[in-house]
Amino acid sequence: MKNKTLNLAMILLKNGSGLGLKGSSTATKVMMIVLFAIAIPSMMGGVGAFTVFLIEPLMKIGQQGLVLTWGIGITSAAIFVFGIFYIISTFYFASDVEYLLPLPLKPRQIVGAKFLVVTVFEYIFAAMIFIPIWITYGIRISMGPLYYIYGLILLLLMPIMPLALASLLSMIIMRFTNLKRHKDAFKIIGGLLAMFLGIGINLMMQNMSMNLSPEKLSKLLQQGQNSLIGALPSIFPTAGWAGQALVHSGSLKGLMYFAICIGFSVAVFAGLLALGQLIYLKGVVGLSETGSRRHGHGLQGIDKGVEKGSVISTYTLVELKLLFRTPIYFLNCVIINFLWPVFLLFPFLVRNEEVDMLTEISNAINQSDAGGIILAAFFGLALFVSGSNGIAASAISREGQELYVKKYLPMSYKDQLIAKLLSALTLSYVGIVSMVIVGIVLFKIPVTTGVLVLLTGWLPVLFMCLSGLLIDLYNPKLDWDNEQKAVKQNINVLYSIIIGMGLAAASVIPAVAFKWSITVTLLILCSAFLALDILLYNVLKTVGVRRFGNIDC
Amino acid sequence: MIELLNVNKTFNGNVKAVDSLNLVIPNGEIFGFLGPNGAGKTTTIKIITGILNADSGSVKVNGIDIKEEPLEVKRSIGFVPDTPNMFLRLKGIEYLNFMADMYDVSTADRKERLQYLAERFGMTDVLYDRIQSYSHGMRQKIVIMGVLIHNPSVWIMDEPMTGLDPKSSFILKEMMREHADKGNTVFFSTHVLDVAEKVCDRVAIIDKGRILFNGTIEEMKEHFNRNESLEKMFLELTDSEK
Repeated sequence: MKNKTLNLAMILLKNGSGLGLKGSSTATKVMMIVLFAIAIPSMMGGVGAFTVFLIEPLMKIGQQGLVLTWGIGITSAAIFVFGIFYIISTFYFASDVEYLLPLPLKPRQIVGAKFLVVTVFEYIFAAMIFIPIWITYGIRISMGPLYYIYGLILLLLMPIMPLALASLLSMIIMRFTNLKRHKDAFKIIGGLLAMFLGIGINLMMQNMSMNLSPEKLSKLLQQGQNSLIGALPSIFPTAGWAGQALVHSGSLKGLMYFAICIGFSVAVFAGLLALGQLIYLKGVVGLSETGSRRHGHGLQGIDKGVEKGSVISTYTLVELKLLFRTPIYFLNCVIINFLWPVFLLFPFLVRNEEVDMLTEISNAINQSDAGGIILAAFFGLALFVSGSNGIAASAISREGQELYVKKYLPMSYKDQLIAKLLSALTLSYVGIVSMVIVGIVLFKIPVTTGVLVLLTGWLPVLFMCLSGLLIDLYNPKLDWDNEQKAVKQNINVLYSIIIGMGLAAASVIPAVAFKWSITVTLLILCSAFLALDILLYNVLKTVGVRRFGNIDC
Repeated sequence: MIELLNVNKTFNGNVKAVDSLNLVIPNGEIFGFLGPNGAGKTTTIKIITGILNADSGSVKVNGIDIKEEPLEVKRSIGFVPDTPNMFLRLKGIEYLNFMADMYDVSTADRKERLQYLAERFGMTDVLYDRIQSYSHGMRQKIVIMGVLIHNPSVWIMDEPMTGLDPKSSFILKEMMREHADKGNTVFFSTHVLDVAEKVCDRVAIIDKGRILFNGTIEEMKEHFNRNESLEKMFLELTDSEK
């Protein structure tokens, strides 16, 4: 007898289009592989180096095991936050749901298979953070073979706990927001709710872990022997147990914790299946329906909204409407622009003892010579935010199978690309405005600096939009069945983020190192980005337009 | 008028989708493009509408070469693709307005045509709903409306009858006739032979990228020198190639 859950998971995995390299030219493939070959090892190397940096002082107090617990905890937390989106879209919004529902499958089989698919995708992510920590620790502390065997199995189990929690939240929220009409609106509300709950829970737990009293802490510290591992409460108990299992892998204690980890993960998975059996169908059935009013608009009715507009503005407006109305795009590309300031502020707002930090930062900001650094920091944030919203870097990919429509419209490819650029520029700029407001209100940055940022911030943003669009033109991911794949599982967005972070560093580091004044920073950064923008715009206008015409569809 | 001269298109280096295709589709006629699945109908249509570039040969619409003046050619065409699932998150009216802007239709003209088309297709009540909420046939109708809003001199459709109810497909056939009678070109692909037999002034049969027959139904009957159903002739024609 074959296991239907596993069978279905395999089919779903095969059906996913992976990294979207299919159909791209050899040169693009080579470029992507080279980029990967550089980006992933350097990221893992960075984590490894950081582990070495942490492990030395911890060894002195006999708490080196913390590195592992922290590593697993951070990995779990990251999987959880990213997993929520992933789970919601895979469980509920993927178009395969409509094909799966009529099949003679039990709800728990669908939930189980989809859960496994997400788990497999999260391995890449988990491996990137956990493997360097695990290997570095193993080498530094000279752990035995059992340590490596346990670690490998624990790595395989790692996404289960956070993803189960994400699934639980998603299923409950979708169960209660699956209302008859305005499906899209509820999808958005559900998604936002899950995201905020997720972040909130995470922060609460982080807060709790910081509330260890000083006396208790110093007592634990004196004990040495990795006594702190067990004392850190976590939303993911598996993180602590897995840490214990690894640290004590040579002894029976390690085996015990290892067994607990496995048992708990199995139990969590079983519990999830049971819950799926109970509530999954209620949340998913009818989700693809859209309500309509069907009210008669008589002869006068048609007058509404039929005025002639310019081609570029109409096209830009439609791009924006689609971004706002498609739940996945709204959550990933639009909301994210407003969320960054919130993400950045959360740690300051939630933890009591760090409110002082807020004041300290605003004091530092208001030092007379910090103007250049603030400006550079805003440029850095602008680069990061406009890179990570992925609007430009998925502008072609989002068209998907319907890209051909844009080919027969009597609008030049250049104008179409400009309209796409404008929609990305508009939304990213809104992100800057919200950051400036947060900066002025909470960090008390001078209003003049804020105004300067608003006046010049479009330069780095334009750069990110241009580079994102060009990247997407060269390797568009058009073959998707679920909008999530166009924006979140799109490697182009990742490239855009990497470019954004790299340039952010290149903007901030010299300003800090050479203590540039605000005028110098302004002159250097603005002229640099202006030159880059003009260069890239010319590339888009020529090579980019040609490339758009040659994309097969 | 559409003129295809020696057009070739190869996919992945070896699959010849369109093979030295020559075809002239005159004004004032309804022209049916027939062929089995995978014969090259959609590829040919994509080349005429500018979605695909031909490897070689020339495509002219109203005497203008698509390679030289792509926008000019696209402006004179109205194209109804075979799947109407586009712009699903726009309201019907927003989509129509988008198309009207794209094809540079004045406010007065678009209002008048919108009114007329919406009534004729029975879509007035749903124009302010999202296309996502439409049935397949309604989506097909909204796409057809979006195409007719600029009154194209060349109207091209890929399998336009799919999903339409009998009344809508009757209306569509009527409109095709009217459009052709005004001196415009109407070109559509189909594998429903009855439709072709009843509506078309002229048909071409394509298989494996090559035109097997091009002429009126009467000429086709003469060609076979007997009075058989189009279906039988079609099957014979496309089978003999295998």
